[in-house]
Amino acid sequence: MNPLSKPWIWSWLAAAGAFALTLGLTSGRGAGELGYAALSFGAFAAIVGLGQMLVITLGPGNVDLSIPATMTLAATLALKTMGTVEGTAFVGLAVALGVGLAAGFANYMLILLLRLPPIIATLAASLIYQSLAIWSNRGLRIKPPRELADFATGQVMGIPNVAWAGLLLAAVVWVVLERSVWGRWLLATGQNTHAARLAGIPVEMIRAATYLSVAVFASLAGYLLASFSGGAALNMGTEYLLMSIAVVVIGGSSIAGGNSNVPGVWGAALFMFLVVSMLNSYGAGAGVRSVLTGTIIIAIVIAASTRRVRA
Amino acid sequence: MTISRMLLGAASLALIAGMAHAESGTADKRIALSNNYAGNSWRQAMLQTYEEIGKKAVADGVVAAADAYTTSENQATEQAAQIQNMILQGYDAIVLNAASPTALNGAVKEACDAGITVVSFDGIVTEPCAWRIAVDFAAMGKEEVDYLATRLPDGGNLLEIRGLAGVFVDDEISKGIHQGVAEHDKFKIVGSVHGDWAQDVAQKAVAGILPSLPEVVGVVTQGGDGYGAAQAFKAAGRPTPLIVLGNRQDEMKWWAEQRDANGYETLSLSIAPGVASLAFWVAQQVLAGEEVPKDLTVPFLKITQDTLDESLANTPEGSVANVTYSLDDAKKVIADAK
Repeated sequence: MNPLSKPWIWSWLAAAGAFALTLGLTSGRGAGELGYAALSFGAFAAIVGLGQMLVITLGPGNVDLSIPATMTLAATLALKTMGTVEGTAFVGLAVALGVGLAAGFANYMLILLLRLPPIIATLAASLIYQSLAIWSNRGLRIKPPRELADFATGQVMGIPNVAWAGLLLAAVVWVVLERSVWGRWLLATGQNTHAARLAGIPVEMIRAATYLSVAVFASLAGYLLASFSGGAALNMGTEYLLMSIAVVVIGGSSIAGGNSNVPGVWGAALFMFLVVSMLNSYGAGAGVRSVLTGTIIIAIVIAASTRRVRA
Repeated sequence: MTISRMLLGAASLALIAGMAHAESGTADKRIALSNNYAGNSWRQAMLQTYEEIGKKAVADGVVAAADAYTTSENQATEQAAQIQNMILQGYDAIVLNAASPTALNGAVKEACDAGITVVSFDGIVTEPCAWRIAVDFAAMGKEEVDYLATRLPDGGNLLEIRGLAGVFVDDEISKGIHQGVAEHDKFKIVGSVHGDWAQDVAQKAVAGILPSLPEVVGVVTQGGDGYGAAQAFKAAGRPTPLIVLGNRQDEMKWWAEQRDANGYETLSLSIAPGVASLAFWVAQQVLAGEEVPKDLTVPFLKITQDTLDESLANTPEGSVANVTYSLDDAKKVIADAK
């Protein structure tokens, strides 16, 4: 079997290419440093990307645009609750995940009860979440408790702790998608909702669970990011809106739904960090950087999708 | 008797009202703040300052209203519509932090034509009928390099952290920095990244470029990115270079900790969010009939080793160092511009 027929291979090849090109500049110096940084920062993109992947798998029109606001709200409330007091890390985590559950539930209710298209529902909801975050703390940056900050920036066996969290989550998502009935249901729903419903799959339950999952993943990413970077900021989630969608597409999942790809999300998350690092290292200006990033992304998506058609 | 007393009362009331009017001349005027963005600590501090000073001015009878409005999406079109609403609502003056220096010109012109005073600050507009309270951002960038030159006479490699690509302020500060480097040619900018004025974005960008950089002696920044840069250097196991900071509380706190631990010395500078209060008073002065030049300059707020403890004590946890400008400050800025 040709390994190039796997759609996820392209994001990993691209990540490896960007990695090698950056190191070409330093003749190999700093490989460990760069890899470590890529794993740390890639973890946040991977976590939100996994969530977005599940939603996109649900089929055309399904996307969660409230990820940045959910991240910000979860992180803000969690850090406010902890208030830099030692020993409150798990309380904070519970608050963050609770916010995620609530946001996911609210999103789904808007979609179900008001019959709003998910794009509109989650976008509108995100304005509310962002306003709540502003209102709850007026943009003040509260530091995480020291032990939590140490954990978020720490490492085990040379791999950053946040990357362990992202890898563990990826493994769980992979098992659920590939080895559980729930995963099969999700894929079937994404491929043809109508057929899935006729086949007796509880489509609405699947959708509810998916919208809850993405919001919980986003809140986890927000909690970790705020702990990692020394506090929650109102604009902390901004770049994860496009990022979450980009890693799904680059990772080889079908944007039309019904086909998800867990390893590709991680490859794409590493790539998104490494490509910016590479262009920065080569001294590319902001304009050139945007154009090249866009071009490379399009190239990867074309490569991944062409192979899939042939296979 | 009763009637004459009533008449007397009415007369004295009129007299008091007349006196108040003579004192400020703006007691019946309504000022609105049009703000394009609220999503960071700087903007939140700005809104709070405006709210405080506005409330007090209304209570003191200086103006009749000082309301604040923020658009949700940071879009010029949305803000143009907001300004048009303000025209319809009959405000006498609009204090404006604009989403774009040019895209709002049409709406601003409409406001001027309706007899409304428009005072833009921070994010200024180019429409000639509006007033502009600008910061000399290029000078701010240059000052950073000048400071580094005094601290590092041997020069060395610098890392530049820029703001949000495509924004006027980012280009101006960067221009000043490059001008400074051209003057102090012992310095060389070996890397440039965009930190979007956010600690986590800056941390990520710096962590990505550090492995490919030689030794870095100094980091020039734009504010809101110094702490993230410090974290990235620490994570990479590199010695902490001289990082110019941007007045955020977490940056100052980090600075004080480093100072106590190893005598770390640096400089911090940015614009105070309280510039909104200056814009408010300038608008009030224009409404009061004062002659005010169209282009005003506001000094940036600088924190040095000597003033660090004081600034840190006065800045709320997680916020940004601030000054609230008074009417006298505004009069001084106006006089300086004449």
